[in-house]
Amino acid sequence: MMTDDATRRWQDTQHIDDLWEGDMVGVEIDGTKVLVVNVDGAVRAFENKCPHQAWLLDEGDFDGESITCLRHMWTFAADTGAGINPDDTTLKSFPCRVNADGIIQVDVE
Amino acid sequence: MSTVRHVVVGGGVAAASTVATLRSGGFDGELVLVSDDDTVPYERPPLSKDFLEPGSPPTPTLIREPQWYADHQVQTLLGVKAQRLDPRARRLKLSTGESLSYDGLVLATGVRARPAPGDASDRILTLRSLADAKLLRSRLASAEHVAVLGGGFIGCEVAATAVGLGKRATIVERADVLMNKALGHSIGAIFTDIHRAKGVELHLNSVVLGVHDTGSSAVVRTNHGSIEADLVVVGAGSLPNVELAAEAGIVTDNGIVTDQFCRTNVPNVYAAGDVASSYHPFYNQHLRVEHHDTATRHGAAAARNLLGHDEPFLEAHWFWSDQYEHNLQRTGRAEGSDEVVIRGSLDDLKFSAFALRDGRIRSVISLNQPRDVIAVRRLLFVDHDVTADKLRDQAMPLNRLRSRMPASATAEERTS
Ligand SMILES: Cc1cc2nc3c(=O)[nH]c(=O)nc-3n(C[C@H](O)[C@H](O)[C@H](O)COP(=O)(O)OP(=O)(O)OC[C@H]3O[C@@H](n4cnc5c(N)ncnc54)[C@H](O)[C@@H]3O)c2cc1C
Ligand code: FES
Repeated sequence: MMTDDATRRWQDTQHIDDLWEGDMVGVEIDGTKVLVVNVDGAVRAFENKCPHQAWLLDEGDFDGESITCLRHMWTFAADTGAGINPDDTTLKSFPCRVNADGIIQVDVE
Repeated sequence: MSTVRHVVVGGGVAAASTVATLRSGGFDGELVLVSDDDTVPYERPPLSKDFLEPGSPPTPTLIREPQWYADHQVQTLLGVKAQRLDPRARRLKLSTGESLSYDGLVLATGVRARPAPGDASDRILTLRSLADAKLLRSRLASAEHVAVLGGGFIGCEVAATAVGLGKRATIVERADVLMNKALGHSIGAIFTDIHRAKGVELHLNSVVLGVHDTGSSAVVRTNHGSIEADLVVVGAGSLPNVELAAEAGIVTDNGIVTDQFCRTNVPNVYAAGDVASSYHPFYNQHLRVEHHDTATRHGAAAARNLLGHDEPFLEAHWFWSDQYEHNLQRTGRAEGSDEVVIRGSLDDLKFSAFALRDGRIRSVISLNQPRDVIAVRRLLFVDHDVTADKLRDQAMPLNRLRSRMPASATAEERTS
């Protein structure tokens, strides 16, 4: 875990105070579009791209539990990125953490 | 004791979702999918859209990779038609001459395109299957002018794709606006303007009298004169594939009739997807829709009921259509509504049209404003209270319309 953490390239996004529980936000890191989600206080980061037809997921809906892509309503579990409908697809996820200063950091490599 | 065997007839999303849900729901007996298509279940929606573009991959978007069926021990009999059903013996006769016994049977035979008028010709095409789309794609590549008969969804999508490829496209439609049946007159009129502005030539109020292949072109005769084109695409609606069921004595009425649990009148035989006319408890009537999402969920519901869960199929029907840069979605049913309220801007082509009745939302059609559709989908069957003014106010989030929980229930929740 420690070494894993040390080799990561954490990049700052925004402060956790600006991402409330049940919020999601789209950010761009090194040209990668990332979706950052606060699920019940836990922060998750996924590729901001619907596996169906690449629509931006931050334009979608997040009800606190699942993320729905509004283009054709595919839905994903927000804590794991696993597809709910359809259930055989998964969002690509990135490691992320909240550092001691409350900054949400993501590693997109 | 012999193993239990369930058989699913059909090769569309409903069939695919039935087999997947049977397996994820713990069914570990034999599972056979019988489809007269040569390809494992694939997505049809792209076939009238991206798939027709010469630059896009010539392979279909599969719902699941072939390996999935092997991994989940689903036997796929492709290019095989289920020809006769004997419900008493619980046997299915296949086009291969073999017969297959079943314990549970799900019919997900979908619909077929209403055939093109006149003789068979490779200039006069319909669009339902991958094979149809491959032929259309190759014919479209060399065509300059495409005539589309019927201004419904598939016709409009094909015209939009053709225009996007720099082709001349003409739509011949009986009504005075496009998509009249699905969207109603006023939204249909907006779409008519969109297509006109994109350069589609429209022959409205026009009845097709005949189509024939001259050997070098196709000629469409209408009550308002003739149209000559390189290619004719007929989008004249569809017919449910009910024959297998009907001949076996299963009740059909514009589809295979089922109750809310996807059951037909014959024991152990279920139906799902575009072919099924299912009883919907909220609307208190049998409804048959041809929507992708509904077919997916319906197939899953049939599987759960086959597994003994007694779960009524209570979904709000929902569909989308992508034309040019526009995304259209609809949920609910407008019948019996007495007021239409617009939220958003008609001029900017970014709005939702709500059909209301008795302070409830009956349906919504959204153009480029899909967020409203998801909100309405959550409201349709629960208590809510709405006024036209509230809906018009874009600052009012739609999820606020949900009736508040009674105070006692809220208090209870707090203490738990
Ligand atoms: C070109 C096109 C574009 C579309 N676009 C959209 C869209 O944008 N949005 C939307 O919501 N919906 C769209 N739809 C509708 C959507 O695709 C359908 O609702 C969906 O495919 C229905 O799935 P199904 O499994 O019920 O039936 P189908 O997909 O029709 O599948 C039925 C299958 O059963 C097979 N079969 C039939 N009889 C037998 C038999 N006796 N033995 C063996 N096999 C048999 C058929 O070959 C077929 O493979 C579109 C449809 C088409 C054709
Ligand atoms: S692009 Fe996301 S559901 Fe289609």
